[in-house]
Amino acid sequence: MEITQETVAAAVNSVTSARGKGTLPNLMAFARALKQLGVKVSLSQVIDASRSADLVDIAEKSDFRAVLRSNLILQKEDFPTFDMLFDSFWREQSYERMPMETMDIQGTPTESQSLEGGDEEGGLEEAAIESIPKENVPLENLDEFSVPTYSPQELMNRKDFSEMGVEESRAIARAILLIATKIATQISRRKKIGRKGSTVDPRWTMRRSMKYGGEIIDLVHRKRRIKKTRVVLLCDVSGSMDCYSRFLIQFMYGLQNELWGVETFVFSTSLSRITHLIRTKDIANALEKISGSILGWSGGTNIGRSLHTFNRNFAPSIVTHRTVVVIISDGWDRGDVSLLEREMQDIKRRCKKIIWLNPLLASENYEPLCKGMQAALPYLDLFLSVHNVNSLVTLGRTLEKMVA
Amino acid sequence: MNPEQLTIERVQEILLKEKYVCDRALATVVYLSVIMGKPLLLEGEAGVGKTEIAKVLAKVLGAKLIRLQCYEGLDSNTALYEWNYPKQMLRIKLEEVEHGDKEKVETEIFTQEYLIRRPLLEAIQTDGATPPVLLIDEIDRADMEFEAFLLEVLSDFQITIPELGTIAAKHRPYVFLTSNRTREIHDALKRRCLYHWIEYPSFEKEYEIITTKFPEVETKMARQICAFMQKVREMNFYKRPGVAETLDWASALIALNRRNLDDKTVVETMGCVFKYREDLHHLREQMEARQLNLDALLRASPEMVS
Repeated sequence: MEITQETVAAAVNSVTSARGKGTLPNLMAFARALKQLGVKVSLSQVIDASRSADLVDIAEKSDFRAVLRSNLILQKEDFPTFDMLFDSFWREQSYERMPMETMDIQGTPTESQSLEGGDEEGGLEEAAIESIPKENVPLENLDEFSVPTYSPQELMNRKDFSEMGVEESRAIARAILLIATKIATQISRRKKIGRKGSTVDPRWTMRRSMKYGGEIIDLVHRKRRIKKTRVVLLCDVSGSMDCYSRFLIQFMYGLQNELWGVETFVFSTSLSRITHLIRTKDIANALEKISGSILGWSGGTNIGRSLHTFNRNFAPSIVTHRTVVVIISDGWDRGDVSLLEREMQDIKRRCKKIIWLNPLLASENYEPLCKGMQAALPYLDLFLSVHNVNSLVTLGRTLEKMVA
Repeated sequence: MNPEQLTIERVQEILLKEKYVCDRALATVVYLSVIMGKPLLLEGEAGVGKTEIAKVLAKVLGAKLIRLQCYEGLDSNTALYEWNYPKQMLRIKLEEVEHGDKEKVETEIFTQEYLIRRPLLEAIQTDGATPPVLLIDEIDRADMEFEAFLLEVLSDFQITIPELGTIAAKHRPYVFLTSNRTREIHDALKRRCLYHWIEYPSFEKEYEIITTKFPEVETKMARQICAFMQKVREMNFYKRPGVAETLDWASALIALNRRNLDDKTVVETMGCVFKYREDLHHLREQMEARQLNLDALLRASPEMVS
C-alpha cells in the first residue's frame, strides 16, 4: 500500500474514536492506525511502549518518538510510515498540552467532521471499529483488526490478480513447490547424528557408552544434513512481462513460503523489496497487497538501474557465496545497457549461481537479440524458459542436477 | 554505576566518557532497555558500532560482558550448556575401581560440578550485584532453530536442564542482539526486543567520533577524513566503509604523523578503508578522473566549531 499524507490522515481519523485519556488508549489507537498502514504491531509491544513512555519525559517529543519507534517498529523499512503517522497523530492537539492526558477530541466540531470522513474511508475497517466499544477498547481485539489493502489514492496502474482460477493456481503451486525445494536445498556443513557417516562424534559416543559403564561399544557418527540456501528472486513486472505476472507471483509466493531464505524483489523502472508483503500464508490477500503497492507495475523497464539499486542497497547484506540469484525478465531494457552489464558482473561476483528465466525463450524462433538480454547472457549460469507449468517442472529438474 | 540513577542524558554522558558518541535516539533505547530489562536488537551496516555499544555499556555499568558470537550451525550445546562427559566418565571409572555406591554416582555426576556453562546459561546464572551484559552478536548468522530456542531464553530468562531442573535468572541480564541483516530475524523474536537501526553517522557525528577517539588529531585532517568518508559512502563501492574503517584510517594517519590529507596519502593508506581489490581500483580511477577532489570536498563540508 502506498503511504501518502492522505492515507495517513485517513488512518488517524478512523481511530479517533478509540482515543481517550491516558497513555494506553492513545497508544492503542496509534497502534491501530499503524496497522491500517500495514505495519504489524502486537499487543505486547503496545503495552511495553506504554510502560516505556512512563519512563521518559514524554514532553520531549523526540524522546517520545524514539520510545514509540523502538517498541513498535521492527524493521527499518517501516520508519518512514511511522514518522509520518507519528507527526500526524500527535499533532492533532498541540503537543505541549500532553496528548496523554488531554486527548478528548470527539467534542470539537472539526474532529467529528473528520471522524465521519474517516468512517467512509474506512470501508473494510468499519465493521472492526464498530464492534469495539468507543470507551475502554478491549485489549484482545487489537490483534484482530483487518488491514485494508485497497488504497483509493493509488494513481499508478493496478493489476487485479484475484481472478486467478483455483485449479490452475493449485497445479502451479505444486510445480513451484518442487522447484522451490530443489533450488533451495543444499548440503550444509551442519551435520546430523547418525549411525553411518564420515566423522565420529566424540560427545555422543561418550554419552552412549555410559550405559555400558563407559566402555565404548557404539561409535556415533555425524552425517551431512540438508540445509536451505538463500534464494534471491528478482522479478520483472513491467508491461512487456504483463501476461506472465500470474506465474511470477505464484513463483515468488511458492518460493518464499516454502523456505525461509528467500528474498523477493520486483522491478520495472525501479526496484522494490516485497519479501515482507508476501510472507503471509493467505495468497489472495498477498496478491492484492502486492498489486496495490508496487509503483510502475506494467510500466516500462529499466533493468540496469533496478539491478544497480539492488546491488547498492541489498546485495551486500543479502547475497553471499551460497545465494542463487534468480532473475525473471524478458530482457527488454529501456535503460543503459552498459550499466546493466556492469551490474550483472557485480552480482555474478557475489553469488553462487545466476539463473535467468525468460518466458520468450519458449517461442521457437526466439533469439536473445535485444540488447539487454545480450549484455546479460555472458554472466548467466542458466538461461531457461518459464512460460507454463511444464517449463517450471523442467526448470525444477535442471536445478536438481545442478544442486546435487 | 547504579542503573536506577540513569537518565537519557546520563547514558549519553557516560558513553561519551568511554569515547562512544551516540545520538539521543540511541541513548533513549539503551536507557529503556536497561531500565525495562528488555533486550535491544540493533541493526545497521557493518562497522557502525553495534557491537561496541554493548562492550562500552558493560564497562560503564561495571558488569561482566558475556558474548555469544553466532555462526551457522550454532546449537544449544555451544550456546547453553553441556555435560562434561570426560569428567563424568573418569568419575565412573574411579568408582568402578573403588567399588563405590552406584546410585550415589548416578546422582552426583549430574550436578553443577559436571556442567559446562555456555554463554546463555552463564548469563542467567551469574551472581553478584550487577547483572551481566549479554551480547548476542550477529544473530542473523545463526540459523532459525537457534532463533527459536533463543526465544524461550529471552522471554522467561530461564533454562531447563532435564537432569537438574529449571534455572531462573536472579537478575535479568542486559541483553543486546546485533544483526547485519543478511536475513530477516523472525518477528516473534523481534517482538520481544526493542529495535533500533544505527545509520552511518552524519558528517558532524563522525567528526565528533574522530575527535573524541583521537583528541590529538589536527582539525583540518579530521574534517578531511569525514568529508572523504561521507563522499565515498555515497559512491558506488562494493563494500561501503563504516565508522570502524574511519577510525582505523585516522589512527593510521596519526601513526604516520600526517597532518593533512593529499591525494598521495589517500592512495597510500587506502588499505585501511577499502578491503577489495576492485574498490581500490575504482578509487584510484576516481581520484585520477578528479571525481574525488579533496579540496572540493573540504570546501563543501560544514564548518565545525571545536
